[in-house]
Amino acid sequence: MAIATASDDVFVEEERPTARVLGRRHDRLALALIAPSLLFLVVFTYWPIAQVVLQALTIETFGSKTVEHGFGNFARLFADASFGRAVTNNLIYAAGTIVPSIGLALALAVGLRESTRFNALLRTVVFFPVLLPLVAAASLFLFVFLPGIGLLDHHLGRLGFHQTNWLGDPDVALWSLIGLTVWKNAAYYMLFFIAGLQAIPDDLYEAARLEGASATQRFARVTLPLLGPTLAFVLVVALVNVVTQVDHVVVLTKGGPSDSTNLVLYYIYQQAHENYDTGKAAAATVASLTALVALSVLSLRTLERAVHYEA
Amino acid sequence: MHPLTKVASATAFALALGLGSAQAATEIEMFFPVPVEGKLAKEMQSLMERFNAAHPDIKAKAVYTGSYDETNLKTHAAIKAGRPPAAVIMSANFVLEYQIADEIQPLDPLIAADGKTSDAFMDQFWPALHGNARFAGKVWGVPFHNSTPLLYFNTDHFKEVGLDPKNPPKTWAEWSDAAKKLTKREGDKTTRWGLMLPSNYDYLGWVMTALDMSNGGQYYNSEYGGEVYYDQPSMRGALTFVDNLIHRDKVMPEGETDGKAVSTAFFAGQTSMVVLSTGSLSFIRENMKSGYGVAFVPSNIRNAVAIGGASLIMPKGLSDEQRKASWELIKWLTSPAVSGGWSRFTGYFAPNKAAYDLPEMKEFLAKNPDAQVAVDQLAYARSWFATYSTVAVRKALEDEVQAVLSGKKKPLEALKAAQAKAEEIMAPYVAATAMNLPK
Repeated sequence: MAIATASDDVFVEEERPTARVLGRRHDRLALALIAPSLLFLVVFTYWPIAQVVLQALTIETFGSKTVEHGFGNFARLFADASFGRAVTNNLIYAAGTIVPSIGLALALAVGLRESTRFNALLRTVVFFPVLLPLVAAASLFLFVFLPGIGLLDHHLGRLGFHQTNWLGDPDVALWSLIGLTVWKNAAYYMLFFIAGLQAIPDDLYEAARLEGASATQRFARVTLPLLGPTLAFVLVVALVNVVTQVDHVVVLTKGGPSDSTNLVLYYIYQQAHENYDTGKAAAATVASLTALVALSVLSLRTLERAVHYEA
Repeated sequence: MHPLTKVASATAFALALGLGSAQAATEIEMFFPVPVEGKLAKEMQSLMERFNAAHPDIKAKAVYTGSYDETNLKTHAAIKAGRPPAAVIMSANFVLEYQIADEIQPLDPLIAADGKTSDAFMDQFWPALHGNARFAGKVWGVPFHNSTPLLYFNTDHFKEVGLDPKNPPKTWAEWSDAAKKLTKREGDKTTRWGLMLPSNYDYLGWVMTALDMSNGGQYYNSEYGGEVYYDQPSMRGALTFVDNLIHRDKVMPEGETDGKAVSTAFFAGQTSMVVLSTGSLSFIRENMKSGYGVAFVPSNIRNAVAIGGASLIMPKGLSDEQRKASWELIKWLTSPAVSGGWSRFTGYFAPNKAAYDLPEMKEFLAKNPDAQVAVDQLAYARSWFATYSTVAVRKALEDEVQAVLSGKKKPLEALKAAQAKAEEIMAPYVAATAMNLPK
């Protein structure tokens, strides 16, 4: 920046070398200042990324010491029906968790918007699941989901419903995990929406009211457009959660029954640690992270284009 | 001196000091898992203190490494990183994979150095445990604690429907009759199941092994890690039996049931019979409110179940001192007195036969006849399923069996798919071994 402004300035032509030296000194200082974090970033982030990519392109065969390089791991990955199943499950899981939890979060945020004492209490109650680590929540839900005796079946049974094998029925199990995730995440997203709502000036609502806009119109025309940046941010956070959080799969189902709750990250774990197939695990990591980055960029771009930043 | 060089030399100095102090007593680490409920981790620490007190030249440390699977994962990682633990309590069916990967050392030289033959050494342990410890001509593991599946039943329910709790079902025919009598319905709703089997990953494979073996099957080739017998009549019979209990007789719930859900349902009186590990014996003894009994897993062709549990293994890449110290620890942990004490504490049976000759063990068995049943069933026990890529090959069967439990597939097609998948997973090993022919 410093160099650019100095060279643009025609009146201080003689000072340009000094400015350049200054700039260089600035650069060096800046580099020195960020060096510690850069070092850690390289050692713990960029270097592992490079290694994963390298691993994905390295083909090892059992019983032979020679190693080949190429796209063979990716070919095996895409031919694996279990990977296809995990991707499909992950897509259903994404749609099933993101839409309801963001909808619920938005409804809760609008409902609990006013900072009254009662609302503060309700917010705390609603926020409670966020405080629980996902592992702990999943361990609790093991008993909520118990067929027949669990909390859910006990109360549904009183209402005359049949016993449901929440985690053991391949048609139901993924939806049980989706329910748990929505319960866990909605309040977290609500927090962002409440913050976003505070930033919307009241006079806009006043103006809308004067114009005779109904509550729904005010929500659709004022609240929602102005929450655009928050929504874009929450969507990306939710998207990342869908791919990176599988604690409940580990605790509750291990991907079963018959792979019906297997998500991509757990599939990667299985390949690496149960099957010792590091090549396939690395290929799946590269493939899923590429998709995630692409999706994040896409959603941020499209949403930001439609966003009104200024009130 | 450049600051970085200073840091480096200081670190080197500190490291040298650290290594130097290790010369005094040989320091060794042992990885150990806690597979069942209870205060096992604490008990293991006190065992280590007793061992160290008795062996002043060794400083052994027990490192808790999570479940069986996590212990396996951490051991592989430690070996890859070049810092292998001196000993590991490893799930007995993973030992083969370490031998295939050439990551553990045979124990025969250490046995020979003690002036014993390998035959005499293995003879200390129950014959059923030999298969998973001694194979390919060498001793690779020393049995530490072991289990078998057992039939647990609610004696109050038995009396209520006119069954004799002193005479639990011995054959599959008696078993399914009992299950039908014990099942209670209100309209089309079942309020009590006759039988429940754990069917989560890992447990399901073990239960299917027991049923397949009780039906005359082998399940896998115990001599060669590249073969399984999933689509054979013995397995088809076993799976059809289970399918009938669920979908024809409706005496067992549909779908997958976790081991924890099975024990909870048993405690709550929601099921009258369950199959669970002998390792759960203490847990059930402490938590069961109504009367219960235990029996062998019923048979169709013969009495047979697979063992479970863990063996002590020794990774490669240890120094001579570490190897000697580790061997002392392994021998001590599997000696009759220690083995028997651990067995009484956990509910696992003691692999060392001599443990049952000790007076405190005789007294314990007289007080707890259910533990005696577990020991008696050992006469019919066989080796535990172990192949190349054991977990994935087991999962190939489990996924398909779960599809049958949920009514999505019929036994025959499910088992054909399981066999095909298992063969696909073992293909690289088969290509490098049994199909590696003279060119």
